[in-house]
Amino acid sequence: MTSSKELAEFSVPGAIVGAAAGLVAGALGVLAGQPLGWAIITGLGLGLPLIVLGSGYAVLVALGKVPAGVFAPAAVYWVIGFPLALLVHAITTTWWVTGSPGLPPEPWKFLAFRALVSMGFAIGFLWMHEQLGRHWWPRILPHNRYARRTVEQYSHLASALAERKAATGRR
Amino acid sequence: MDVTSKTSEVPDEPAAAAVTEKVWKAGRLEPMPIRKLPDAPPSIHILGPTVFLVALGVGMGESYMWPRLVLVFGPDIRWLFMVGVTLQAFVLLEMARYAMATGESIFFGAARIFKPLMWFFYVAAILIYMWPGHLSAGAAAFEEVSGIPWQVTACVALVFVGVLFSMLSVIYNFLEKLLGLLIGFLVVGTSVIAAIVGNWDDLGKTLAGMFAVGYFPHEAMTSAWFPVVVGSIAFAGPSGMQQMWYTLQLRDSGAGMGAHIPKVRGLRSAGEAEAMPSRGFMFDTEDPAEMAKWKGWRKWVTFDAILLFWGITMLVTVSFTVLAMSAARTNPNVKSLIEGGDRDAALRAMSDAFASAGSPILGTLFFAFIALIGLNATLGLFDSFSRGQADMTYYFVPGAKRFSMSRLYAGFLWGVIVFGILILLFGPADGPAGILDTLAFLSTFAMGAYCIVLLLVNNKLLPKKIRPGPVRNLIIGFGAVFYLGMLFYCLIRFGVAVG
Repeated sequence: MTSSKELAEFSVPGAIVGAAAGLVAGALGVLAGQPLGWAIITGLGLGLPLIVLGSGYAVLVALGKVPAGVFAPAAVYWVIGFPLALLVHAITTTWWVTGSPGLPPEPWKFLAFRALVSMGFAIGFLWMHEQLGRHWWPRILPHNRYARRTVEQYSHLASALAERKAATGRR
Repeated sequence: MDVTSKTSEVPDEPAAAAVTEKVWKAGRLEPMPIRKLPDAPPSIHILGPTVFLVALGVGMGESYMWPRLVLVFGPDIRWLFMVGVTLQAFVLLEMARYAMATGESIFFGAARIFKPLMWFFYVAAILIYMWPGHLSAGAAAFEEVSGIPWQVTACVALVFVGVLFSMLSVIYNFLEKLLGLLIGFLVVGTSVIAAIVGNWDDLGKTLAGMFAVGYFPHEAMTSAWFPVVVGSIAFAGPSGMQQMWYTLQLRDSGAGMGAHIPKVRGLRSAGEAEAMPSRGFMFDTEDPAEMAKWKGWRKWVTFDAILLFWGITMLVTVSFTVLAMSAARTNPNVKSLIEGGDRDAALRAMSDAFASAGSPILGTLFFAFIALIGLNATLGLFDSFSRGQADMTYYFVPGAKRFSMSRLYAGFLWGVIVFGILILLFGPADGPAGILDTLAFLSTFAMGAYCIVLLLVNNKLLPKKIRPGPVRNLIIGFGAVFYLGMLFYCLIRFGVAVG
């Protein structure tokens, strides 16, 4: 498997979290009987940028540029990425409503507000990413070097925990 | 209260009988044998037992009660929320101190001081938490999304929780992961909604309000609002006995000396459960290597208290406050409904406002998140209640030890489920109207009482080297005065418990 394919496969959990943030919104809208166009545009307008950015974060983890499961780098990543995703969403919905793309009023304030909210998004993203990854990466481990490296990081921690338990013994 | 050598015969552990070993005498009950403290995991981590506290704590207080106060009194009232949640973060750290040092729950600690204290919590827990009213908000929100009557959802949820927890091998591991995922989704989702409908000014005002220390408008001192304000402060973050249950989840997660205590299993695997020791353990605080590990564990739990607990609770309530402000601006009707106190009507109006302001699906999504908050709280509450009651029953009800801890857990779980279904079908979900005030009183009283218990157990039962410092003691003492003082002031001045 080529390196880019392996990276794409490794990034599935990151993409899923991005998709969950955007596309669940769309799916719920459809379920609730809202106008289909709105639901799709909102879902895609937000979901696609978040899928791309979620995968981007996973690629950084895969390449060892960012340690897995650590908050600070995720917060820095999303303080930039999250406002940009919301900007794309705002432009897309304006396009859908008015027929031509346009920036939201006071774009800097718009971005600054979303940058603050991004802290929360970063915590939630990291939490979900780690949970999904723990199930996904061991599955693809035999043929994916990035998954192997990340799982090794986790199993190193796990064996340290097991040693700890063995050392203390029961009662 | 010192480490001594003596011949210890531990009744439940024949293999360990009649050996000379070091023990730590704590209070009136059986001394704790000295064992090794495990190494602490890295302090920066994502999942931990705090997810239970977040799942229980992020409820109606954060999503409804505080946004309501902000609309009535303005954002500056939020400094009281800041005080409430910060106080709870310190309570979390002190609860963890006893649980990680001994592997015992805070209930066991209370019994070491004075057994009736523990029995008070035993009875209070049953009285406060057997009513299924806490299911109503989440199930009603689900009704808005799906059209399914809320009683049906609530009954199905009850049976689902019972079957799920009975089938699991080790309940803690599964629940930690599930709640972690659900809370992650909740946090991601509320951030997205707040980012779409909120604005810089709302957020700026909300954040600035957290530091408006001393702001207390005249109307908040009236009989209509003071009990509501007191209730909202008490319900900022985990309320009632939720912090006490956290000590049991810490133990099951294997934190500190909890590593020496077997885990609670689901009913299906109850037979595989290892025998429970008859008390907790202590580590050698005279050994510098052990103290270094202890510092590691304190770092680990401090990270939990600050980022996971304080951070997420703040984040969710800030997001929901921003949402309420935005909804009130879009639709002035929302403000009057929220002020009026009809929770369901207010939530519906907020949902409508988001639907018209952001995009139509946001209204639905808003309800989905209220339902998710309800689901998290239900999962956490049933597990915690059963854990707490099983723990106290196992150790202190004569003859209960012939059942395993896991079987007692299943007994309490199914007991509260069956009672809950009967009440949902035939009775008042929150409890009989005549005792509602008593239940609200008990819930807040328990919080003042556990602050006193914390001061006692941590300062009287732990070795000197790991006792809390004067600042921590002062803060927890302030907590006791704060909760009990406000409760009794409310009762004497206005004749009601809390709102």
